Amino acid sequence: MNTVANGRMKAVTSTILKDKWSWFLLPWIISGSSFVVNLIISFFVEDKIKTGGVASLYIYMFVAGIISVSNTLPFLLGFSVKRSDYFWGTGRAIGLIGIICAAGLTLLSVVESDWIRGWGSELYFFHLPYYSEGSIPVQFLNYFLVIVFLFYAGFLIACIGKRFGKNGLFAFFLVSIALGTVMSYVMTYQGWWIDLGDWLADRTMLELAGATAPLTLLCMAFSYAMLRRTSA
Amino acid sequence: MSAIVQVKNLTKTYGKTDAVKDVSFKLEENKIYGLLGRNGAGKTTIMHMLTAQQFPSGGEIEVFGEAPFENESVLRRVCFIKESQKYPATFSVKDVLEVSAMLHPNWDAAYAKELTEAFNLPMKRRMQKLSRGMLSAVGVVVGLASRAPLTIFDEPYLGLDAVARGMFYDRLLEDYAEHPRTVILSTHLIDEVSRMLEHVLLIDQGKLMLDEDAERLTGKAYSVVGAAARIDAFASGKQVLSRDSMGSIASATILGEIGAQDRREAAERGLEFAPVSLQQLIVHLTNGKNGEKEAVAL
Repeated sequence: MNTVANGRMKAVTSTILKDKWSWFLLPWIISGSSFVVNLIISFFVEDKIKTGGVASLYIYMFVAGIISVSNTLPFLLGFSVKRSDYFWGTGRAIGLIGIICAAGLTLLSVVESDWIRGWGSELYFFHLPYYSEGSIPVQFLNYFLVIVFLFYAGFLIACIGKRFGKNGLFAFFLVSIALGTVMSYVMTYQGWWIDLGDWLADRTMLELAGATAPLTLLCMAFSYAMLRRTSA
Repeated sequence: MSAIVQVKNLTKTYGKTDAVKDVSFKLEENKIYGLLGRNGAGKTTIMHMLTAQQFPSGGEIEVFGEAPFENESVLRRVCFIKESQKYPATFSVKDVLEVSAMLHPNWDAAYAKELTEAFNLPMKRRMQKLSRGMLSAVGVVVGLASRAPLTIFDEPYLGLDAVARGMFYDRLLEDYAEHPRTVILSTHLIDEVSRMLEHVLLIDQGKLMLDEDAERLTGKAYSVVGAAARIDAFASGKQVLSRDSMGSIASATILGEIGAQDRREAAERGLEFAPVSLQQLIVHLTNGKNGEKEAVAL
């Protein structure tokens, strides 16, 4: 790996970041609209509202990971960019976007919990039990890790699609679903679901978010392997 | 003159069909090459493999003396303008030029600006909203302003009108004279570009049919016109590529150089010679039935 970002890698990062609307505005517009709806409702409801609407931002990142590849890869490969430069240039872009999103989410969480408690109407949208536990740096890290993981999960799916085409992607999902069904059956049979639930309940958000890091690296490694053999 | 592209036994197979079959050639520095052939002949596949965008099924490719795959020192010297080039959904003309400037070390921004004005390109318009001709014009601007040592144009003029095409040819020749580089022009509009080409590679059904200097090539066949019966007599025993007749007048296109005896014979029979254009020759070479084509060895 070339650790010093070369000019061509920068061109990849810049290509992705030129789409300011998709990366810097849309995630906030989507989660923001969910927030506004919840805020309006919260004024009419007596009870405290805790909602998971912020998940929309995470789902958006997953979808963005899928879309990003078909939006930029054919263009950049056509413009004589190395596959590895595409990979690391995308990594730089998503690192930056992840930092911005995580910082925004952390700030909103602090505002919601400490500055304007529940936005004056007992709405908890960005600061949620369990999800928002930990100090400010820990919250930031949690959000960042999950965002980057979801992006690369989407990125991997798109890379499989690019490498093996529609049929390949179809086969991938078929095998995944089959494996999932078998696993789930084994777990039910062995009574492991309750154990898993207990185990998860004992983990902190930091432990769970931290556990995505190796998965992210795995998604990255597989995506890279796919990209290496992808034709324009 | 050194070879900057060297292709040996290049093959590309899709399933059971061979898109490119055992193609070998060399390209020398600072020449304009024509990669000619019918649609679907395998031209685009070859260019994709030269630029490491597709993987060969067999054979070897060296560009600037090295394998192009994941090779920055090769890829930064290559600019491939293809008809099927895709652009990000939100990209404007300006965005494309900005990214091109980052990717091509020899990029001339002032020249790019001059060309966008010459082609009347709206800088702020999104690529997706451009007409086919404008889209091609963006490719032409990038291809010229990149000044890449190996510049490849694959059907660069789709949708461009005659004026814009003429402008492309003029600009290319002008800039080529000032900044020599190796250019590959892939096209099936052969007559329009034939005056620019120094060397011709002809691909048909995935095979390299011709690898010849353009000037020598046009001297390799000739047409002869005259009374039909005399034409037939003249042509007998010669390799006739085509024969047309209109009333009692006929013309035959004959493969081979005009020898002294041919001149004497033609003069005796009152026949006249006419040069064959590159396009005519190529059409003849790629039009025939499969069996015949194998026999045509220039």
